[in-house]
Amino acid sequence: MDESSEKAILVEHLSKNFEVIEKKEGFLGSISSLVSAKKKVVRALKNASFSLREGELVGFIGPNGAGKTTALKVLSGLLYPTAGFVQVLGFDPWDKKPEFLKKIALVMGQKNQLWWDLPAQETFELNRAIYEIPKNKYKENLSELIELLQVRKLLNIQVRKLSLGQRMRLELVASLLHHPSVLFLDEPTIGLDVVAQQKIRDFIFDYNKRYKATIILTSHNMRDLIDLTKRIIVIDKGGIIFDGKLTDLVGEFAKEKIIKVYFSKEVDVRKLEGVGKLKRFDFPQAIISVPREASAVAAAELLQNFPIADLTIEEEAIEDIIRRVFRGEKIKKVRH
Amino acid sequence: MADKLVNQLSVVRHWLGKLLRSLKLPQPQKLKVSFVLSFCKRLFYYFRIWILMSKNSFMTVLSRKKILFLFLLGKILRFSFFTAFIYFLVLGAKGLSGYTKEQVVFFFLTFSLIDILSQFLFREVYRFRSLVVTGDLDLVLTKPVSTLFRVLMGGADVIDFITIPPLLFAVCYVGNLFQPSYLQIFLYILLFFDGFLVALAFHIAVLALGILTLEIDHSIMIYRDLVALGKLPIDIYREPLRGILTFIFPVAIMVSLPAKALMGLVSLQGVFLSLTSAVLTFFVSLRFWNFALKKYTSASS
Amino acid sequence: MKKYLSIFNISFQQEFAYRINFIMWRVRNVLQIFLVFFLWDAVFKDPGRVVFGYNREGILTYVLGLIIVKSFVFSSKSMDVAGEISRGELSNYLVKPVSYFKYWITRDLSSKSLNLSFAFFETLFLFLILKPSFFIQTDPILLIFFLLSLILAFSLFSLLLFIVSAITFWMPEAGWGAHFLISIISVEFMSGALFPLDILPHFLQRIVNYTPFPYMVFFPMQVYLGKILDSAAVKGILISGLWILVLYFIMTLVWRKGLKVYEAYGR
Repeated sequence: MDESSEKAILVEHLSKNFEVIEKKEGFLGSISSLVSAKKKVVRALKNASFSLREGELVGFIGPNGAGKTTALKVLSGLLYPTAGFVQVLGFDPWDKKPEFLKKIALVMGQKNQLWWDLPAQETFELNRAIYEIPKNKYKENLSELIELLQVRKLLNIQVRKLSLGQRMRLELVASLLHHPSVLFLDEPTIGLDVVAQQKIRDFIFDYNKRYKATIILTSHNMRDLIDLTKRIIVIDKGGIIFDGKLTDLVGEFAKEKIIKVYFSKEVDVRKLEGVGKLKRFDFPQAIISVPREASAVAAAELLQNFPIADLTIEEEAIEDIIRRVFRGEKIKKVRH
Repeated sequence: MADKLVNQLSVVRHWLGKLLRSLKLPQPQKLKVSFVLSFCKRLFYYFRIWILMSKNSFMTVLSRKKILFLFLLGKILRFSFFTAFIYFLVLGAKGLSGYTKEQVVFFFLTFSLIDILSQFLFREVYRFRSLVVTGDLDLVLTKPVSTLFRVLMGGADVIDFITIPPLLFAVCYVGNLFQPSYLQIFLYILLFFDGFLVALAFHIAVLALGILTLEIDHSIMIYRDLVALGKLPIDIYREPLRGILTFIFPVAIMVSLPAKALMGLVSLQGVFLSLTSAVLTFFVSLRFWNFALKKYTSASS
Repeated sequence: MKKYLSIFNISFQQEFAYRINFIMWRVRNVLQIFLVFFLWDAVFKDPGRVVFGYNREGILTYVLGLIIVKSFVFSSKSMDVAGEISRGELSNYLVKPVSYFKYWITRDLSSKSLNLSFAFFETLFLFLILKPSFFIQTDPILLIFFLLSLILAFSLFSLLLFIVSAITFWMPEAGWGAHFLISIISVEFMSGALFPLDILPHFLQRIVNYTPFPYMVFFPMQVYLGKILDSAAVKGILISGLWILVLYFIMTLVWRKGLKVYEAYGR
């Protein structure tokens, strides 16, 4: 037994390049680019390696265009890797063996598989035939999914008459009828209202727990990540720059520390600016962010020069860090 | 001589293997009973899915009865107007390029049957663009069912379906006027399916082009305009158009030849030639599709 | 007047924004002409032959003339009206100080002028590759009648489209089907856009002549070819004028009722 078979997903040195034809402006331009196409290579993934154990739920984050969706597409066999080794449940995804495809599901927010003019029920029946799910199993899976996602009342309504949130839940039912043991969820909560988001989140949590399903989730939604994932993989410009516990993300990426002070007397706000970046001032409380390495010095300075009642030094909030990741802000590991 | 034959056979096997692979069938290492069995099973599997998809798309259309009615009426009118037109035209002109009015009508009927049949089965092609543009195609690709099958045959058209039986009746009725021999009937049916294979090939090529250029609407319409030239016997066209319609864009094989076969106007050589070229067209288009799909899965994002 | 000029301009430019669509639509027009051209070419293989009162030159002129006449009469943007009604976008116009009809007629004119200029080159192209014998009308009176009949034909078709589009007020999803139907009946057959109507048996001709359709293509072509006498031309022009009045009346009626339904829905 080699190590690879114990892992549900194994990715080693994965690279994926796209050839993009640069289009020229205008009508004549588009004709001339037909003749002399200028090709540009976009490196969507660069030497990415990671692996997932069976039953793990991992969040993929990074700014737009970082390569998250590309990675999911390679893992589900949609894209052929330029270089590297990919294995999912012991299969090479690119072979698209039916046995493999029957064990995975790719769910993309904003992409549809439900028949638009018909009740979702009809799509379910079709998927039952496509995935060759035995009748009993189908009934069992369907009623479980219906219950988990609370969609019983929506089954017989034409899909086009449903709200986005309702539709997304039914999309999930359609994608999971065959009980995949590996799930790739690409922005499953995008565009949904807060209540609908919560329903989807609860479901993902339950599905992962109940069936020991291996799940990769990409999201721009902070709550998705904080509520669901223990482990996070950060991708930026096609490369993996962090792979570890969500809580460690702070230690790795926080450039700053937050100093909270309570003053006992009125102070000059302008003087505080000299200590660090003043984030909020609401007497008697002030919040100042300072570079990590300078936090001790700053605290000492505050205690010396100001009438302090209380002072705490805290880590940067996880939300702030993730937000910076999404913005694609230069984040680099901080040496401790 | 024998070497050559073996060589050719291996080429055929190669292509056959490609076709079967594209249908996600088990590999034909040796033609064993188990293979035949699993082939039948796979065929049944696809047939069941086709029935379900067709049921869905029928229900979609049937939920809008007024539209169904308008389109059906339009199609029937268009068909009868054109039939009347060529009937009166050939009647007044006393023949067309040596064909009688019944013969010219029969050319048109044969064209219509192939055309309607392919529209009935391959209607989904017309919706392919939105599938590619929205990216919903990605979800189709992750299904354990042939993508080509899904995007080609996923939306059988009930309106065309309704018009098939009366059209079939008309073909039999007019065809019977020529008092064909059994051989001629056999050749007609053979070449009819041969022509249908060409139609299938064109639809596949249009899909492949659709993946590469995101463009379906125009290419399918151009295809329809070109095929429409087959409403009349190909003989009326001047060169080079006739040559183009025979060799490059084989509308002649697709629609004119079957009708000619029934009238006893086709030599066996012609039959053989058209069979080979139809099969060739089909495999070329299949290759083109596979190429396009590979391009899609390795290029787009 | 000035605002309609700018509508004309914008519409013209928009056509260029979708130029591939436009060019393809023109290519299709040419392809469709091939079928008709070669059909008649085969019928008139013998140059001295006269069938249905046409000689070779006359019929080939009819077929090539179709490109010009069709692009002037049938090319239009107001096909979109039905869509605008069903999507509820009509409201955007009702609150603006433009006449909805004039707005679309302006856009139609813009589309027609573009199509017409393309049609001119296409005819030239077909003329060069097919080398048909072509009849050139020199009688100035008939030419004036021809132009007049074209303008009437264009008005007839626009009115018809507006009436058909109004169906959408009552059946929001049927606009497409209705257009399909009317364009098959009028555009493809009864107008003479596929074949000159005089090949039909007399009783059918008589029925067709009681509809406005022949005045869209067949009648103008007859005038151009000089196949009818001056008096018959005047009569035809009067009849199409009459049809315009009738259709205009129907259109205003239908739209008045339709708009009430539209507003009642509050879309």
